[in-house]
Parts: sequence; structure tokens; C-alpha cells
Amino acid sequence: MATALGGGLGGWGSAHIQDGAPRSWERVTGGGEAAWAGPQITGSWGRLAGHRRPRRPTNQAFPGARAMAADNSKQFWKRSAKLPGSIQPVYGAQHPPLDPRLTKNFIKERSKVNTVPLKSKKASSFHEFARNTSDAWDIGDDEEEDFSSPSFQTLNSKVALATAAQVLENHSKLRVKPERSQSTTSDVPANYKVIKSSSDAQLSRNSSDTCLRNPLHKQQSLPLRPIIPLVARISDQNASGAPPMTVREKTRLEKFRQLLSSHNTDLDELRKCSWPGVPREVRPVTWRLLSGYLPANTERRTLTLQRKREEYFGFIEQYYDSRNEEHHQDTYRQIHIDIPRTNPLIPLFQQPLVQEIFERILFIWAIRHPASGYVQGINDLVTPFFVVFLSEYVEEDVENFDVTTLSQDMLRSIEADSFWCMSKLLDGIQDNYTFAQPGIQKKVKALEELVSRIDEQVHNHFRRYEVEYLQFAFRWMNNLLMRELPLRCTIRLWDTYQSEPEGFSHFHLYVCAAFLIKWRKEILDEEDFQGLLMLLQNLPTIHWGNEEIGLLLAEAYRLKYMFADAPNHYRR
Amino acid sequence: MAQADSPFQPRPVPGQPSVSKLVLLGSGSVGKSSLALRYVKHDFKSVVPTVGCAFFTKVVDLGASSLKLEIWDTAGQEKYHSVCHLYFRGANAALLVYDITQKDSFHKAQQWLAELEKEHPVGEVVVMLVGNKTDLGEQREVTLQEGKEFAESKNLLFMETSAKLNDQVSEVFSTVAQELLRREKVRKSHTPGNEAVDLNEGPARQARCCAH
Repeated sequence: MATALGGGLGGWGSAHIQDGAPRSWERVTGGGEAAWAGPQITGSWGRLAGHRRPRRPTNQAFPGARAMAADNSKQFWKRSAKLPGSIQPVYGAQHPPLDPRLTKNFIKERSKVNTVPLKSKKASSFHEFARNTSDAWDIGDDEEEDFSSPSFQTLNSKVALATAAQVLENHSKLRVKPERSQSTTSDVPANYKVIKSSSDAQLSRNSSDTCLRNPLHKQQSLPLRPIIPLVARISDQNASGAPPMTVREKTRLEKFRQLLSSHNTDLDELRKCSWPGVPREVRPVTWRLLSGYLPANTERRTLTLQRKREEYFGFIEQYYDSRNEEHHQDTYRQIHIDIPRTNPLIPLFQQPLVQEIFERILFIWAIRHPASGYVQGINDLVTPFFVVFLSEYVEEDVENFDVTTLSQDMLRSIEADSFWCMSKLLDGIQDNYTFAQPGIQKKVKALEELVSRIDEQVHNHFRRYEVEYLQFAFRWMNNLLMRELPLRCTIRLWDTYQSEPEGFSHFHLYVCAAFLIKWRKEILDEEDFQGLLMLLQNLPTIHWGNEEIGLLLAEAYRLKYMFADAPNHYRR
Repeated sequence: MAQADSPFQPRPVPGQPSVSKLVLLGSGSVGKSSLALRYVKHDFKSVVPTVGCAFFTKVVDLGASSLKLEIWDTAGQEKYHSVCHLYFRGANAALLVYDITQKDSFHKAQQWLAELEKEHPVGEVVVMLVGNKTDLGEQREVTLQEGKEFAESKNLLFMETSAKLNDQVSEVFSTVAQELLRREKVRKSHTPGNEAVDLNEGPARQARCCAH
């Protein structure tokens, strides 16, 4: 296991990246494996329907956690935003305090989400959802009906299954083509032309299922991607080496601009558009809106931002000096030793000015949230916000940007916005970081339960070699997969998390399950405890880009659809 | 971990070294991960704070015999202690690491020892106190003598290291491995079957597959 041994220290260490790369590359280019979603799903359905075995007691090392999980399992699957750590704040805890216009929007938004499945009985679930979200220009203005219908999660699961399977089948079909073409020719440049033209041709054909194909057309060039630098460019999420901007991307961007500049941004619509990814150009403002930090009303935005930024620097003035006082000393010391170790390989984060910003953000957050305080891992969560808000002022590559070239005002805006948006995120997952980290223990148990139902083979494989889910998934929950994915992928993932109700607190579980199952072949190939652990803590994702995250999210969406509201589905 | 409580006594696979579980304990940023990285990967670089734990494995070659170490590198922040107990279980050896330039981390190492002894009777686990960062000698806050005295008072092994300069790092692990083997021999010759220090009690998982 020399390759997987890598950095092994839990991060994106350079050695780890280097070692992981060849494996990952093989995986990406290898014909059958690349289309992991398709064949594998059918496999798991087979397993699901086939074997039902009595559940064995698990995780003896955590008897308490087990009992807790058993108590909560029902509630968990029937999750109704009542659980501690659910992410209501996305809608509810607005800054500024409740604005009636926003509330109206929220209600409207909810009802609109609900209308989605009702409009068409035939095409529901992901298919319909994707159509509504990714083909923004297809959406008319006729969505004003108000329904107080049940949530779309309660839809007939058969429909969900069928459509989800169809989506995934389409995914795999589409992916087969270019792979085949590559295997028949060794001339890469010529082949590239072929791929490019085929995707162009697809673009010009504006058929009804563009929503399914378009997110995938980039994937077709996947086998031909250039090798990304070891420390991948964080600002550039387009890792596939695709042309700068397609017609479709331009249209999408236009749709975003329209939404964002309208007098009252339709947040429901914005979520729909953002689910499949937010264009880089409009990401900062979109994230501020999605997190509930910025009001939907354009007129109020400037004032709100000004007020919130002043409020944050008021905290700094009031509290930051207390960092060296006895009762805050431990908190500050821990933050202080962690900050230089946050993203150690990216020059941006080694600049004193940036480190000071991180320290202030984390310290203020920690002392304002004494129930959890600062917990290692929270430091990572500032990073995506910081990078996204910084990107507003930076044309070139963010990772090597010298922040001293920015004005004081710009830096203050970035800092305050990062603080507030991170606070919003953490509001939804605070039980991950309170004493004994109950949120994490609960979610790891939920992951185990879910995997035991969707992929018994993997689950049994872990049991056989005595791998505990907590041994690898603790970090997945604690750091929201940030240690497992390149930063550009985390940013893309968060586009969706912020568009999805309870994205960080709930949907993340399904993403973790999809992520685990994505490696099922590699997992089943490992035949001892050590090999499994080395694999699981060094999963080779360094080459991942939007395509992989898109597939991961589609699979997660399917799982959520199948299981979130179905506590007894496929119970073993 | 489960195997510690298991009555099942696995035997090592013939021809394979026996497996011992070693945990790295100590407060944040004292160099636990760096020691492991230096030893396992012969590398030193900036590392991110460990979340939960990280796992390594390495075979220690001791001339006539060899021993496979499963190294569990734990997170230093106290908030993680609830999770850390999971990694104590079934440990055969522990490194209590402190930073010689941080007096506080020396006190924390002593607290870690108390934690460890709650889970394991004194003497059951091979414990070494490790003062790291000797490369920062001019900022030293804990003298060699202090470390030594504490280690002697608690009957621990003791060494000072620099993961950065690769000073005494492999010696730490091989000394612990030697001690593990020595105790195993003593145990075998004195009270065969006694579970006091049973190397094979550890996570010799290959041998356990047949149980399923």
C-alpha cells in the first residue's frame, strides 16, 4: 500500500497528492470504471431487493452511540427539520432580522418547490428537478400558483427510482461514447477534436432532454483532460480543460445576472439555478443570498452589508483584546496554532494578513458560541467563503494572490462576509461541535445504517475486516468532506449545499454515502484492515472537478429521494 | 476497539510479523503527526491539524525479529477526547508527545498518561514519553532533566526527538518495538496464557478473518 500511504495526515499533503495521482488517473481514464454510477446502481438495487439479513450489533466501542442511534433512527429517517442541527437558518435566521418581504419570498419559495412534482405527474424527481434547475431559460413566469402540498420528498418512490435510474443510465450511456472513441485511437489531439465537435453538436441540438445531457457534455472530454497541477488551481473549478465558456454557460450566467439584478431576487429560483453549480462570476453575491446573509431586495443590500460589516468589526473592537485573558486563552491558543496549518500548501494562506483574518473570524465565532467553542475542523470551513469572497476582487489565480494589494475596505468586506456566512453554516450544524460531538456520532451511525441498506457487500466487507465507520467518516462529517476533496470541488459542492434545504446538516449524509459507494470497487479489492484504512483516508480525488461532483450529487439526490422519507425502505 | 475485549486470541499468520497497536497522544501541534510522517514516510512538511485520527502502518525490523506497528495518530485538541478513547482500546504501546518549547504541553502529556491509565492498568501498555522539537533548543521550556525525572517516576521510557531534523525518531519506534518484543518474551517464559501483555492480543486482523 505504498501509494496510498501518501501524506496520510488527514489533509491534502503534497506527498499524498502525488502518490494518489496515478491511481486516480487510471481510474478516470479506465473505460468501464469511469461510468461508476450506472452499472453500480443496478448492482445495488439487486442487492437491496435480494438480501435481507438480521442486523448485527455494530460498533462495540461506542455502546452509547449505538443506543443513541437506535433511539434516533426513526426520527432520523423521518427528519423534519426538527432535529438539532437542522439547517432552518438558511431561511429562518436572517440577517437582518426577519424582513417581511423575505418571509414572503420564503413562503413563495417553499410553495414553488412543492409545485414542482405536482405540475407533471410523469416526470418527477431528479429528472424534473434537473430540468427546472439546469435549464434556467426554459422556466417560464407561470409559477405563481400557491400550493400547500406535501414536500416533493414524499413522492412515490417508484417514480423516483425509475427516473433516477433513468438519469443515471443516461449518464453512463453518454459517457461510454468518448471512452470508446479514445480506445480506438491513440492520437489524442485528433481525438480531442472529435470530442469537442461532438459536444458542440450536442449543444446545437436543443432537444427536450438537454438538461440531462448538458451537465454531462464536459465529461465526454474527461479521458482527455490535461493533468492538473499537484496543488490544483483553486480558483479554477473547471478542471476538465474545457473551452472557456460555452453557449450554455453564457446563457446560465445571463440568467443568474437577471435574477440577481431584479428588484426582489427570487430566492426559490436562485436555489434552483444554483443547485447544478453557480458560475464563478456571480458566486460571491449568490452565496451571500443563499446563506440568508444578504436580503433579496436589491435596495436593501448595500445598507445591510454595511450594517453587518460594522457589526462584525464592533465585535472585534469589543472582544478581540480578550483573547489573551485567562478564560479565552486556551481558545485563542488553539486557533493560533491551527491557522498556519490551515491549507499549508497554498501560498495565499501563508500570508500574515490572511492568517490574522482567519484568527479574528474564528475567535469571535468561538466566544460567541460557548456551547461548542472552537473545534479543529471549523478552521477549514472559513476557507471556501474566504476564497469565494476574495475572488470578487481577483481576476487571476486566487491561490497565489498577494492580499496586500487590496484596499483596507475590500479586506474588511471579505472578512466580515466570511464571518457571517460561516456563522450561518455553523448555525445549522452546531451539534457537530458541542461536547462529545453528538451530531457527528449520530451522522456516522446514520451513514452506517444507510450503507448497510444500499450496499450490503461494502458494509459486510467493513465488518469482516473490523473497519469502523467512525474511523474514516468522523473526518468526513467534521470537515464536510473538505479533507477528502480539492478545494475547487468543495466550493462546487457548497453551491448545492446552499441550494438544498438542510444541505450541510442533512443532504451531506447522502453525499457521504454516495462518495463511499463510489469507491466500492477499490474497497472490495482491499483485503485487510490496514489496506482499507489507508485507502479510505487517502481517496484519490485530486483530479476531481465539476463533473465528478455533479455525478456525486446526482447519486446523493437519488439516495435522499429514496431514503430520507422512507425509514423502512430496504431495512435489513 | 472490539478485539481488545474479545476472548478470541488470534495467532499471527506464520511468516508474518506480529502486529502491535501504537497510539500517539499529546496536545495540539506538538508534532505527533510529524513524528509519524517522519518515521513512516521519511518526510517532514507542514501538516494540517489531525481530525479524529490518522492511521499508518510500518514494519519495524529488529534484526532477528520484526514487528508490524499499527500507528494511530490522534488529534491533539481536547475537544476530541471523546473520540480518542476509541483509539486507546487494545493499544499495546503509546507515545506521549510534548513540545519541549511549551511547558503546557508537558503538563498535558501527564494528563494524557492519567487518561491512558484509566483505560489500561499500569504496566500493561508500553509507554514512552517523547519530548519533541529539540531543533528549537533555544526556546526550550522543559529541560531534559524534567522529562527524564517524570518518566522515571512513572516508569516510562523517555527520549527527546526532532521530527524536523530526523533526530532520534526511528530510535523512538524501534525502542518501543524492542520493549514490546522483550515483554512478550518475558510473558511467554513466565506465565504462558496470562493476558498481561499479549502482543497477539492486538489487532492481528489477518488471523481473524476465519471468524467470519
